[in-house]
Amino acid sequence: MAEDFNWAIGGEAGDGIDSTGKIFAQALSRAGRHVFTSKDFASRIRGGYTAYKIRTAVDSVDSVVDRLDVLVALTQRTIDENLDELHEGSAIIYDGERSWEAEIPEEMTAVDVPLNSLAEEAGGSIMRNVVALGAACAIANFDVEYLDEALEKRFGGKGSKIVENNKEAARLGEEYVEENYDLDHLGYDLETTDEDYVLLNGNEALGMGALAAGCRFYAGYPITPATSIMEYLTGRIEQYGGHVVQAEDELSAINMALGGARAGARSMTATSGAGIDLMTETFGLVATSETPLVIVDVQRSGPSTGMPTKQEQGDLNMALYGGHGEVPRFVVAPTTIDECFWKAIEAFNLAEKYQTPVFLISDLAMSVTEQTFPPETFDMDAVEIDRGKLVDQDEVDEWLDEQGRFRAHADTDDGVSPRAIPGTIDGAHMSTGLEHDELGRRTEDQDERVQQVDKRYRKVETARNEEDWAYREFGNPDADDLVISWGSNEGALVEALEYLEDDGIDVRVISVPYIFPRPDLSEEIEAAEDVIVVECNATGQFADLLEHDTLTRVKRINKYTGVRFKADELAEEITEQLSAEVPA
Amino acid sequence: MSSDVRFTDFKSDKQPTWCPGCGDFGTMNGMMKALAETGNDPDNTFVVAGIGCSGKIGTYMHSYALHGVHGRALPVGTGVKMARPDIEVMVAGGDGDGYSIGAGHFVHAVRRNVDMTYVVMDNRIYGLTKGQASPTSRSDFETSTTPEGPKQPPVNPLALALASGASFIAQSFASDALRHQEIVQQAIEHDGFGFVNVFSPCVTFNDVDTYDYFRDNLVDLDEEGHDPSDYEAAKKVILDSDKEYQGVMYQDDQSVPYHEQHGVTEDMSDIPDGAPEDAMDLVREFY
Repeated sequence: MAEDFNWAIGGEAGDGIDSTGKIFAQALSRAGRHVFTSKDFASRIRGGYTAYKIRTAVDSVDSVVDRLDVLVALTQRTIDENLDELHEGSAIIYDGERSWEAEIPEEMTAVDVPLNSLAEEAGGSIMRNVVALGAACAIANFDVEYLDEALEKRFGGKGSKIVENNKEAARLGEEYVEENYDLDHLGYDLETTDEDYVLLNGNEALGMGALAAGCRFYAGYPITPATSIMEYLTGRIEQYGGHVVQAEDELSAINMALGGARAGARSMTATSGAGIDLMTETFGLVATSETPLVIVDVQRSGPSTGMPTKQEQGDLNMALYGGHGEVPRFVVAPTTIDECFWKAIEAFNLAEKYQTPVFLISDLAMSVTEQTFPPETFDMDAVEIDRGKLVDQDEVDEWLDEQGRFRAHADTDDGVSPRAIPGTIDGAHMSTGLEHDELGRRTEDQDERVQQVDKRYRKVETARNEEDWAYREFGNPDADDLVISWGSNEGALVEALEYLEDDGIDVRVISVPYIFPRPDLSEEIEAAEDVIVVECNATGQFADLLEHDTLTRVKRINKYTGVRFKADELAEEITEQLSAEVPA
Repeated sequence: MSSDVRFTDFKSDKQPTWCPGCGDFGTMNGMMKALAETGNDPDNTFVVAGIGCSGKIGTYMHSYALHGVHGRALPVGTGVKMARPDIEVMVAGGDGDGYSIGAGHFVHAVRRNVDMTYVVMDNRIYGLTKGQASPTSRSDFETSTTPEGPKQPPVNPLALALASGASFIAQSFASDALRHQEIVQQAIEHDGFGFVNVFSPCVTFNDVDTYDYFRDNLVDLDEEGHDPSDYEAAKKVILDSDKEYQGVMYQDDQSVPYHEQHGVTEDMSDIPDGAPEDAMDLVREFY
């Protein structure tokens, strides 16, 4: 039996799939097990197939696999959708009293539990999913008591009666399975440890990073899958004197955030898909007015409305090139959930140090996936804040011209000008999207135009030299073949190394968290025999960049089904690419 | 900046490139005088403008200022005010900037009741693009893009504000300097969104809505004994399309600005050197 255990609950949207899955994930985390979750959901409120999947192990888990050990099926479609992931040792929990007749392949273990009746016995049919959780505990040899804390967390606000009823529901489910089935032959036995873990998803980590970094103002417009960042900040940012505005549209959201940033607050906006298109109008203004702003794009399947609830990494070119004219900006792409936290902090520091828009590009798979971490992964004492050249009352004099006017866009060796925020005496100045002189005033003078364009790009050069645009490395550093990835593919890729190793294939993996500026991979690519670039889009946008950087053809693995990479699938694709011809 | 601020302190040394005789000169002078008169100075004032002739105002004034993209000055002003409730925010726009491309933002800024002053320089034409119909152009006004007139009724910005739940609605005339200044001053002093539509004639492209036209037709609400706290009276004046009015049409004296309603009182620009002291609580929440 594999040492990791894979569980899922599936049904129709509106069946409480998400909260049930979350309760089980939290229970596993409290039991000192690592958890990695994934979600299948459709773009609708009710109806349509939806599932919450959990992979759990004692060791850290960073990706999903094609295997399901226990499935709670609230509908036949749940079984059908997951047939290829079920195996002979799989158990399927269903309610034989419900109106649908479960068709379960013979080789699998059908566990018929009267979820509804038992829930009613505990106090109400609404708890049928919790009965199923108890049943799952029995199958997995996992102590049902671990569910209690998670149930308290979920239902505590609704009173102790509700919590007690839910605990009872779980126990009824467990007892029913223990009394009616002998499932020892399945061999599941979930080991527990004394470790304390936290369980959170990419958007939560990103929002937490923003708060740690001192973000005080957020403006956004609801859009899947970015909305949960706004939901996370709402109710928490106030503790620090901050505020979230739900704007009327994305055009407004980015302009509000721009206003907040110019007023001196660390400000952020987040969106996805079409929302980023709308914001594009303002990218140039943020850059030319030299406003520090963090703009988050949680990518989803495009173009147009595409597949709003599905995974893709298709916005890289937009982040790099979006906006008319030439817009200096930084593009940072966290590769793991914990990196969403650290890169958010880095994004705010970069934005203020270089007075430039910073695009933080995440993706759907990372945003909704929950993962366990030791709490010290998010060590708040290690958070550093760098506000750059923010001038105070005493320093402002150094930057006044002969007439006493503040040189907000002063040309400097490093390209970074002093920044005075409202209220700073004698710092008053104008900023504009028009080309301007050092004072921020409109100019069409050729020399001044060139001076300002050069100055803005000099900041990028300064950052290129001063910051650490490192990559993350896995596998064998001396291997002949090199696999490169960006964004959330890292977890699956790292696990794919194990499969490859089993087949005697040795590769070096480079995972790149910076799109612009990005690490110079010329030497690494030159030294490699085969170079394969892995990304969730159809055209290979990052591969194009690398080819451009190194003038070397690379091989590509592209997935654009709307589903993230799985480790075993990646291992297969890499094996295939290694023996394929390099494209002409 | 010393406490005895003069309105000229709000002037920059850039010479305006507005056409000689443009209403925007008077509009801006009134804004500067109103700011000085209400005890503000350039270092605690933030002026936001969009695109068009009105958009140039930040260049000719001296204060913290942002000249943004077309139609989106109000969201910028909202962001500034939320981050810094201590800062005086004034937003300038034009009829195209505010009632066409920015119409959506106008409605929402009004209903949020953000404590800022919104001055719209309404010349009923697109001036900077050399004479096309604007949202407030008369339906028979012939322009380069509407040779037979727009054949659609003009937007009534006052009614749009009223319908959106405005707490302060006023109209002034750039050429009636004292009244214009007084009205902007009242808008600044209002706790909430102070909206002033200013008749600011375009001497180059609009030969209908001229200084003479407004002088001859303007009815001053103060002289009419209008009570701005009377909602029904305000509605009547605002919906009266037969007359041009100046004065404060409506003011809700119970108005509570957005930031107060949302408990925002702090200066958000001040943050600690590292993560907040109790930040590990944010992590523990995920146990």
